Amino acid sequence: MNSYERIKAALSHKEADRVPVYPILCGITRKLVGATYKEWSTNAEICANAFIKSTELFDIDCVVTLIDLSVECDAWGQKLMYFENEAVRPDYSDCVVKSLEDYKKIIKTDYRKSKRMMMHMEVCQRLVKELKGKKPIIAFVFGPLGVLSMLRGQQDLFLDIYDDPDSVKAAVKEINETLKEYVAALCDTGVDAVMLDTLFASGSIMSKKMWIDLESEAVKELSEIISKKGCLTMVHNCGRNIYFDAQIEAMKPAAISFLYPPDDCEDFYECKRKYGDKTTLIGCVTPADATFGTDEEWDRQCIEQIDAMAEGGGFILATGCEYPANASFERAERMIEIAKTYGRYTNLKNKYAVLQA
Amino acid sequence: MGVIGEKFKKNEVYVPDVLIAARAMNSGTELLKPLLVTSGAKAKGKVVLGTVKGDLHDIGKNLVRMMMEGKGLEVIDLGVDVPTEKFIETAIADNADIIACSALLTTTMMEMKNVVDKVNQSPLAGKVKIMIGGAPVTDNFRASIGADVYAPDAASAAEVALEICRG
Repeated sequence: MNSYERIKAALSHKEADRVPVYPILCGITRKLVGATYKEWSTNAEICANAFIKSTELFDIDCVVTLIDLSVECDAWGQKLMYFENEAVRPDYSDCVVKSLEDYKKIIKTDYRKSKRMMMHMEVCQRLVKELKGKKPIIAFVFGPLGVLSMLRGQQDLFLDIYDDPDSVKAAVKEINETLKEYVAALCDTGVDAVMLDTLFASGSIMSKKMWIDLESEAVKELSEIISKKGCLTMVHNCGRNIYFDAQIEAMKPAAISFLYPPDDCEDFYECKRKYGDKTTLIGCVTPADATFGTDEEWDRQCIEQIDAMAEGGGFILATGCEYPANASFERAERMIEIAKTYGRYTNLKNKYAVLQA
Repeated sequence: MGVIGEKFKKNEVYVPDVLIAARAMNSGTELLKPLLVTSGAKAKGKVVLGTVKGDLHDIGKNLVRMMMEGKGLEVIDLGVDVPTEKFIETAIADNADIIACSALLTTTMMEMKNVVDKVNQSPLAGKVKIMIGGAPVTDNFRASIGADVYAPDAASAAEVALEICRG
């Protein structure tokens, strides 16, 4: 099987030849082309070449274009900070939204005026040109509430949700109008799926009720557009206690990339039992562990994830969030090797048979 | 804030609720401060808190400060992007019980090891406890760098800090 067939089988909840694997290699790929973080995250050719190089050097089964979480907020003129070896982030000392009054500034805008969004678009175009038919390409988009948090700062946004919820909701709606056109254009590049980051649909941040009230309708609209364009919606959320039920209800995602068990599951086994037939599970190795601990501990985590969630397909072995951008590639290679050896479904079937006996 | 902290741990209230509660508490504390000073009320312990060098994230750290202050601890908040030396200088100057370090990035969490190593080489060795926390941080990581305490959330950080200060 090639990567396309393997991922397709996983998404269809069927067992492929082996467990598909993707250690979310994003910012780290800059090292493969000798670029700084700033170059990688501002130059489409460099960024796309780095992703392509990662597919040539490592047996990964897909590519997710997670550049950083500040791509979309650029459309509203958020001042950003660039670093040589760290991801781009907003300059929170100079936010676009400095007060409740400033929410009025957040109106639908033309994504084509944003250098960063257009750069991401070009990255997708280049990846489609080089990899279409070889590796599934998944465009990464931050959800509207997340984008608003980059324009306001999280802490102030959370207070504003209490102080002036209508202004927050109006801004989310305006941002989403922009994102709707943006995701449609991303789908038109020929990518296979769009992965929406719904960071706030998590018990580590806000209640399920609050998330549903603030963002679920907006991401539902995005997923409907993605579906109409013939692409798949996927979700990424690396928070603790994330809301699988509410997100599945809103977006009906083909897959969810996550780090911790959902709010209504004790562990990954229960997550598989409860949600394994509703969506494909992507994860859930702790990415920070790529930078310390022993190889054996890392390997054990990869194997535990396979044991918990691979049976019957519907699973992609991955890190629960981006692989550390300044780590070595060694642990990513180990994860890939484990998927190719331990993760062969013929081996796993024997194991399941023994367990059942 | 003690009640809010308990509810936060049990996922009965969330970050926005904690922030609103802390804002209300701060307003109340401002009013009460003159009375507390004249009554000679003392803090239950002293914590030097900050987000480590290279990391500008502060919401997690701020939640920890709010929870610790709610427990009656004095918190010296050094802010974000705090060099190791600043943690140590402040802890020595203010005779702190705990140095609490926060990090949100896998790229900056290794700075916590630097704090542990430098504290061990300083006059603070064995006298101050080092607490760490933040999204990518785990107890395995704590063990690997030799820090004393890992706190998975702000409420736990405050509880453990109070226990440490009580001896």
